[in-house]
This record gives sequence, C-alpha cells and structure tokens, in this order.
Amino acid sequence: MGSVIEINPFTRVEGHGSARLYLDGSRVERVELCLTESPRLFESLLIGRSYAEVPDIICRICSLCSTVHKVTALLAVEDAFGTKVSEVTGLTRELIAQGGLIQSHALHLYCLLLPDLFKVRGVAELALAAPELLKTGLAVKRVGNLIQETVGGRLIHPVNITLGGLGQRISRDKLLKMREELEAILPACRDAYRLFSSPPLFPQLPVPICLAVGPAAPPLSGEQFRMTDGRSFPVNAYRDSISESVIPYSNAKYAQVLGHEPTVGALSRLNLGSGLGQEASRIFDSVKEEIVGRDIRGNNVAQAVELYQAVENSLSLIDRLLEIGREGAGNVEVAPKSGRGTAACEAPRGVLIHSYAFDDAGICTGADVITPTSLNQGALSRDLLALARGMEGADAAVMVDALERLIRCYDPCISCSVHLVHI
Amino acid sequence: MIRPKLAIAGLTACSGCQLTLLNCEEELPEILRGFELAYFPMAQSSNDPEAVFDVAIVEGAVSTKGDLATLCRLRNSSRLLVAFGTCALHGGVAAMNNRVNTREELIRGVYGEGTGSFESFPPSPFKNFVSVDFSITGCPPEKHDLIALLGALLAGTLPPTQCYPVCTECRSRENLCLLLEKNQLCLGPIIQGGCNARCPATGIVCEGCRGPVREANVAQELELLLERGFDKDEIKRRMSRFTPEWDYGQRH
Repeated sequence: MGSVIEINPFTRVEGHGSARLYLDGSRVERVELCLTESPRLFESLLIGRSYAEVPDIICRICSLCSTVHKVTALLAVEDAFGTKVSEVTGLTRELIAQGGLIQSHALHLYCLLLPDLFKVRGVAELALAAPELLKTGLAVKRVGNLIQETVGGRLIHPVNITLGGLGQRISRDKLLKMREELEAILPACRDAYRLFSSPPLFPQLPVPICLAVGPAAPPLSGEQFRMTDGRSFPVNAYRDSISESVIPYSNAKYAQVLGHEPTVGALSRLNLGSGLGQEASRIFDSVKEEIVGRDIRGNNVAQAVELYQAVENSLSLIDRLLEIGREGAGNVEVAPKSGRGTAACEAPRGVLIHSYAFDDAGICTGADVITPTSLNQGALSRDLLALARGMEGADAAVMVDALERLIRCYDPCISCSVHLVHI
Repeated sequence: MIRPKLAIAGLTACSGCQLTLLNCEEELPEILRGFELAYFPMAQSSNDPEAVFDVAIVEGAVSTKGDLATLCRLRNSSRLLVAFGTCALHGGVAAMNNRVNTREELIRGVYGEGTGSFESFPPSPFKNFVSVDFSITGCPPEKHDLIALLGALLAGTLPPTQCYPVCTECRSRENLCLLLEKNQLCLGPIIQGGCNARCPATGIVCEGCRGPVREANVAQELELLLERGFDKDEIKRRMSRFTPEWDYGQRH
C-alpha cells in the first residue's frame, strides 16, 4: 500500500522547504523536493531600473550571503561597461567576501549543524548542552560580521562597496582592529575541523560531479568554471553549458551543467584544487579522506577547513591594504553603455552567477541570477532518493532525521525562488 | 522566573531579520536564558506548531496563501505580534513594483511564457491583514532595536517608538549633506531614523530601507528633488524600492 512521509518544514536551514517520500510498502518510489520559498521575482523587478540600482536591490535576494551577491552584481555591471577598478577596491571587496564566508560558515557549523552532534533541537538547547563551544562559534561568527560591518557599513546588505570603488576607504585603525580580532579567533578556527570531521553514518551516497569557479580563492571571482571530470568552460558563456529548464505544470527551474547535476560549495572547491596556504593544507591533509572524491557528507568538514583559510586570507588582505595605506588609485568613473556583463564568484555555498544586459542609458533590460542552491538542487534530490532507498525499511522517524541531516550537509539557502523537482 | 515564550518566523523574505537575532553574538546566550525559544524553524528543529506564544516576531511580506495562513496562525496564537523589518512593515523590496506590474507579468519574466499559475499575490505588509502590536523597521533591522524590544519584553512592556528622520542623526554626526551639498538623490528627510545614518556616514545616499517616517513631508521632498533636476520617474522608482505605497500629498 502506498504511503507518504513528509518533512515539512526543513529546519535549521535558511528559507522554506519541504520534502515528500512516496513509499510502496517499505519500498521508496520517489522523493519530491519542494523549495517552497515564496517567489520574489527579482530578475523581473530589475528590468527598467538603472544600472546604479541593480547591486543595491539584488543583494536582498539573500541575507546570509548578501555580501557576495553584492560583490558579484558589482562585478557583472562593471563587466558590462568595461570598468576596471583599483587594487584597493578589489582587495577591499575580497576582504568583505572573506568576512561573509567566515560569518556564513560559522553560522552553519556552530548554530545550525552542531545541535545534530549533541543531539539537541537547536541553538537554545545547545547553549545548555555545550555553552563553551557555542560561545567559541559565536566569537568566530562575530569577527566575520565585524569585517562585514566595518567594510560594508552595515552587517547585512553592505553599502560601502559601490560601482567603481568604495564609499570610504577603510582606515588604518579599523584595519588594525580587524587584524587583532582575526588573530584572536585563529586558534579556534585551526581546531574547528576536529569537531566536524566525522560524517554522519549514512549508506554510501553517489560521488558528486563538482563545479567551481577557477582559479581557486582568492580571488573569489574567476573567468573559468572547472569540473571534477576535467572539463571547463568560460564564465561569460555560461548559458551554453548551464541549462535551466522549466518543467511544465510544476513551476520548476532545474539546473544542469553539461548534462549533469552539479555539486557546488566547499566540498567542490577543495576537490578542485583549493588554494590553501601552508597551515590550511596541513589541516586539509589530516581530513582529506573525508573530502577528496567523497560524497556530500564531506562538505561540513570542508567548510571547517575553509573557515581557517578565510581567516588567513583576511589577514593577508589586511596586510596588503595596510601596506598600500593612503597610496594607490581611488574610485573610477562608471560610464554606462549598451551590452551584457557577467560575473561568477564563489559564494559560501558555491558558484554564484550574475548576468545583466543594459541599454545605452544603462537601464537594465535583462537579468539572470543562478544561485548555489539552485545548482545543488538536482544533486540534493538525487542524494535524498539514494539515502531513502539505502534506508528502506527503517523507522519513519529515523529516516526523516537522516534526511534532514543530509539536507544540512548541503547547507542550502532557499531564499532564491520557488523550485520544485520531481525525481 | 517565568520565561516569555517566543516564536521567530519568516514569510516572503531573505531571512535577514531572523539572522539579525543570530547576529547578536554577544547577547545571544543571555537572550536564550531570558526567553523560551518555542518556535524558530531557522535555528531549531521539532517546533510545536500548535503552541501558544507570548510574542511572535515575524519577518517578511505576505505574498502567498501559505504566508497568510502562517501569519494568521501566529497572530491567533500569540499575545503580541511584532512586524520585524521593512518587508513586514511596508512590503519591502519584493513589493517595489506592486503599482507598476501585475504579478503575472513578473512571473513570466522569471519563468518564461506558458508557465502555470503561481500561488502568489502582490507582497503586502502585515497591517493589511492583521493587527500588529509593535514594529521594528529596517532592511536589515538594527540589532539595537531588537535588543531594546527583547529587554522591554522581559520588563513586561514595549520600547518607546521613535519618530524622526534619518537627517536628524545624520546632522548630529556632522556628515556632509549628500542631498544639498553633493546634489545626490538622498531620501534621508522622509525616512525613519534610528540607524545612526549609517549610509550617509560612509558617503552613500539614504536608499530608504527603513521606510517612511511618520508625517513625512513627501510632497516637499519631491519638490526639492525635482528642483535639483532629478527626473520624476527616477525619484518615484527610488522611493518605491522598499515602500510601494507612498502618499505623495498634493504633488503627483
């Protein structure tokens, strides 16, 4: 007899989602992944707006990664107009993106995922079960946010990074303050991987086809996409390789890359050559059996490795900015012209693509945003089905718990738009 | 001590307001001691949907039947309902074209021709559907506003409401006036303050993310911007970024 197990809503993830398991007896027939976030239709809202407004509006697509959305939008608009920004501007953008990654990874690992390891419901019970660990995680997260607020002018939806430059350069005092705070969290970040190095005990899942922007970070943006099967393709021709299809009657937008369901994020970045420094490489070496060629369960320890590297990256960016001091070129003029511009960055959760078209006056005539979670959707659905099939016969509550943990391995961020995938 | 029961939830939004709670890194342990977090799907599992709450703090605009059902449920099961952030209070970014495009046009723009009908209506603020006991504005909201609310709730009251424009704090910080001295399209005079004029302080115009200040002289701001050579459509487009429903007074 047919029955349905429902996970609704997903918890300890960003945004609204649910999943349904269709069973025939104990056999799992199919899984339906519903990312039910109410659509905000950003791409349509941008049409008719000035280029100058595009980055300010589009960063509202998401809060956890608003910084990298803003940076990617700035790069895409500047790409359309052929604008070349100064070194200081470029470094400052890198720095705020690293801050964003630190805050996002720390939030996911310490507030959303750690409760699973202590078998508690969430952050409130974690405060009782592991108060010191939570405090450590929050201290790391706070420094990520300090960078975002100092550089961006506010915590979420930064304003100080603008087209062609910066509202204000970051002063020496502020750079030194961030440096001091980053050094203070370095030991905690160095040890973070120990907490997250044991993957959940699931049946084996399919090995993902990883997709990342090359070259490895930093810089976070790049000209090429690379995949673990050895293929690569240029960012500005992404539409030739990434297809999004709308499934009739189901309002679905479903991404495939060169015919595959890609996996993006920390796991993919580390599988594709990581750009890690000496110390991070040492950490990586000690956990690489969980990451290289492994399934998505390795994503969380990969995030922990990246957390350390992001602190190191931030420190060297700050050092370079201190070295430049008040020297170096400032803001550049942005002159609109007709054309299309595209940029791809590594957001905390993986590949993020922004592409905009403008007319002569710089009015937006087309907008296209592909987010990491929409790229990961196919792989997440595939893994949900594989895991459910691997657990056939298990108690429904046990299965639901495992599926929720799998979803958290992906660290999804659902605020992009409505997606519904049938497998 | 009886700990007030809190519900934290989001409707059509970016989760930024809920994130603002989690961004109170230093205060969070104390907040978690003072309140019972009874419902918070973003950071807690196994939430009881039938529970009753002392306070529901809810972000986002209302744009689907599901949103409306959640809002009504939280209204009915909570003594106090707090509209958290600009989307909940004014509609926010998702509502910017409510007066310009139909929902169907916008959906076609994203999902292409021939797509089925979405269960989606123009994003609207809470006040269009339910009574709201308190509001925190901002996109994103300020941490100190949230902490002031939580502190007041523990004392059995609500914080005083603020009513002054961004310019008040901007002038007291002695920032260069971007509107008068740099001739930029700054919305400071008509926007609710309380952000300590963050954006003008870094040399960026006020984009209006905190929505209208009470008794804003909208007609006069419009007049001033027109005098300074800005195009009327551009001004209205900018003003509608977070709040589609402006009262332009006599000046249309």
